[in-house]
Amino acid sequence: MYWKYCIRRIIYGLAIFIMLIFIFSALFNATMENTLRSQIEEEIRAETMRLDTRMTPEEVTRYIAERREFKQRLYHLDKPIWSRIFWRAVNVLSLDFGKATIMRSSSGEADVWTIIAECLPRTVLLFTTAIFINIVLGLWLGLKKAQKAGGLMDKTTSIGTMIVYGMPSWWLGMLVIMFFAYTIKIFPSGGLHSVPPPTGFAYYIDLLYHMALPVLTLVLIGFWGSAFLIRNIMLGILQEDYIMATRTRGIPERKVLYGHAMRTAAPPIVTMALLSLLASVGGNIIFEGIFSWPGLGNLYWIAIEQNDIPVLMGNLFITTALYIGGLVILDLIYGFLDPRIKVGGKQQ
Amino acid sequence: MKWIDFKAGIQDFWNEFKRVKFGLFGLILLFIFILAILINPYIVPFPEASSRWRDITYWEDNPVSAPPVWVNWFSSTKRAPSLIIEEHAFSEEKMGKIKLSRAVFEYEYSYDLPPLDVIFHGYAIGSPVIMLSIERPDGHIIELVRRPISKSDGKEVRVSIGKDSRIESYNFGAKFENLEGNRIEREMVKPTSVLFSEAKEGILVHPSPLKGTYKLIAEIILPAENDVVEDIYFTFSGGVSGWLGTDSSKRDIWSGVVAGVKWALLIGLLTALTAVSIGVTYGVVSAYLGGWKDSLMQRIFELFLSVPLLPVLIVMSAIFKPNIWIMILMMSCFFWVGPVKTVRSMGLQIKEETYIEAAQAFGASSSRIIFKHMIPLLIPYAFASMALYVPSAIVYESSISLLGLGDSTIVTWGQILHDALTGGAVLNGLWWWVVPPGLFIALMGMTFAFIGFAMDKILHPKLRTR
Repeated sequence: MYWKYCIRRIIYGLAIFIMLIFIFSALFNATMENTLRSQIEEEIRAETMRLDTRMTPEEVTRYIAERREFKQRLYHLDKPIWSRIFWRAVNVLSLDFGKATIMRSSSGEADVWTIIAECLPRTVLLFTTAIFINIVLGLWLGLKKAQKAGGLMDKTTSIGTMIVYGMPSWWLGMLVIMFFAYTIKIFPSGGLHSVPPPTGFAYYIDLLYHMALPVLTLVLIGFWGSAFLIRNIMLGILQEDYIMATRTRGIPERKVLYGHAMRTAAPPIVTMALLSLLASVGGNIIFEGIFSWPGLGNLYWIAIEQNDIPVLMGNLFITTALYIGGLVILDLIYGFLDPRIKVGGKQQ
Repeated sequence: MKWIDFKAGIQDFWNEFKRVKFGLFGLILLFIFILAILINPYIVPFPEASSRWRDITYWEDNPVSAPPVWVNWFSSTKRAPSLIIEEHAFSEEKMGKIKLSRAVFEYEYSYDLPPLDVIFHGYAIGSPVIMLSIERPDGHIIELVRRPISKSDGKEVRVSIGKDSRIESYNFGAKFENLEGNRIEREMVKPTSVLFSEAKEGILVHPSPLKGTYKLIAEIILPAENDVVEDIYFTFSGGVSGWLGTDSSKRDIWSGVVAGVKWALLIGLLTALTAVSIGVTYGVVSAYLGGWKDSLMQRIFELFLSVPLLPVLIVMSAIFKPNIWIMILMMSCFFWVGPVKTVRSMGLQIKEETYIEAAQAFGASSSRIIFKHMIPLLIPYAFASMALYVPSAIVYESSISLLGLGDSTIVTWGQILHDALTGGAVLNGLWWWVVPPGLFIALMGMTFAFIGFAMDKILHPKLRTR
């Protein structure tokens, strides 16, 4: 049953996420507690400033001690270490990342979750657009390559794949900015939109205009690889017997390609698209910093620059959640497209 | 597996490999990189770049943000390149106790824009006096600097004509300039642009270059018997400098980029080797053991697989501030998951072979079967995947360094790019600072991609062209 498989996979993904959160909490425990303690001290200092001036020094000292004890109990800092780690993980799981030390959201809030929630859609927008264009171009080129495998075009584009294999996307981004934004000045050098942002329909045009350069860079880096993978997938399929059978029956090549080969190739290609989206989250994300695209990747840059530990941590948790979510969706779609997968676990 | 078999295997593999042209190309590139490490001191002007990358005194004679030398070939105004002149005519005179030595350096100037600075270097003992002057092609001799050294028991002397001869060179120019009416600020006049320009009106404002042979004369008065000034030479910090120019902290980029080769290779190869060794062993062990142990190992593997690599590495680097070895270890800790899945499925196949059954019947231990009979079969696959992990390791390290979280005791390409980004190289169009490090990352990636894909092609013949 497909839905049973779905539930199993989702629960499994959740379990892995929870485990990772616990591991992160343990790993970064010392740093996070230091930030928390200094935050508590700051809050108490702010409270004492507002105190009644008629209080004696002893009373003030006692008040501070009381408040400190109260706050430490609130954040479970008085408990043994394993229980502190546990409570931190629980807080994270209930999306309570605490307050940012320096950074603020665009509306001025210090809540880490608000800051991250603001950035999340922008990252998704940028990378999904890029990967969509990637796949379309890669499909077109990959099919061409597979049809005439070993031909001139196949060989040259394969070499293109290897050339960009180890090329960091952010470096290409730097070059692209240098050329398009500063030398010939036809695109903006970064940002989400012009300042002040235009309203109405012009806003979306402006957004697209700002998105052009980062998307161009991602596509330039990415589509070689997807073309190469699609070529390999298609080549494997085109060598199957049933394709030869359709060809001998005199079915036109177009129909063989799109009607027969593509249908079999769909699951791996969808997987590939999702995998490259995941790879972006897992390995490409700081690319945003080069273009000052205010997404999750850029958030890492700013958080590190300003040494804002709560934001850094919150960002890590959200990225992990996205990543694992992506893995789960990948499996679900794959199971849907290729029914053999979901029973695979049962046979022994 | 015996040595003879192993050798024959390598021979077979090599015969196949030779036929893949791009694989050979990759090997040649790799060879060039290794050669660059070995002959590093002979191909870079600053061989200590690796250890003294952040030592500003090591770079102080270089110009700031100068483009590469070969920019001159494409430009109509030729700029004087950076240069070191050691060759000189030496003469010595004795006047009682005092010695007077005179060294003449010849400088051939045939450019349109003068060097930014001319710097005298020497190693002085005692209390000598150093006097520098210049004899121009048109016969003018200008006394530039007089620098007494007080009681040194051996120290580097560095006299910058560009800084210390402002008054002298201004006065020389002022003789030809019509100063009535328009006052020219002395601070605005660059000494070298006066010294290397035609002596006519406009020398201070719109100098036109005077080409020819200049003589830089260093006269040294040695008042006492034991006083010495030795190892004297002039450095010219030019308008263009080195094969790849300099950055905004005067560092020679070519030296830095070549110094980065060995770190990139070390990071890439060590990470790939550790990660693939762990991954292959893990996969085979998991396949061979089977049952609940296999399930448990697969769950742990999936846990690692679900980690978004770069974010975790960034946060770990930001918090633990690791050095390069720890960073390699950190990357290996996550990279090993790569080959596990394929290796496990291969291991499941190998496990069913009859010779494994035979070995079990002989009473061979699990570890013997795994390490002697199963893993050797996977070595070709391991090498192919290793080659493909090298570029990712290099890119991950560069990405972390780009954020400014790299190991600050070494120089890697990512760190040069970080400096370029924070130094405004993109904004100011200093392409010689941005392009080379990234190009080397890409080249190194390409090298291993070529090798890896070639091996892949041999190992998976199905993808071969019909």
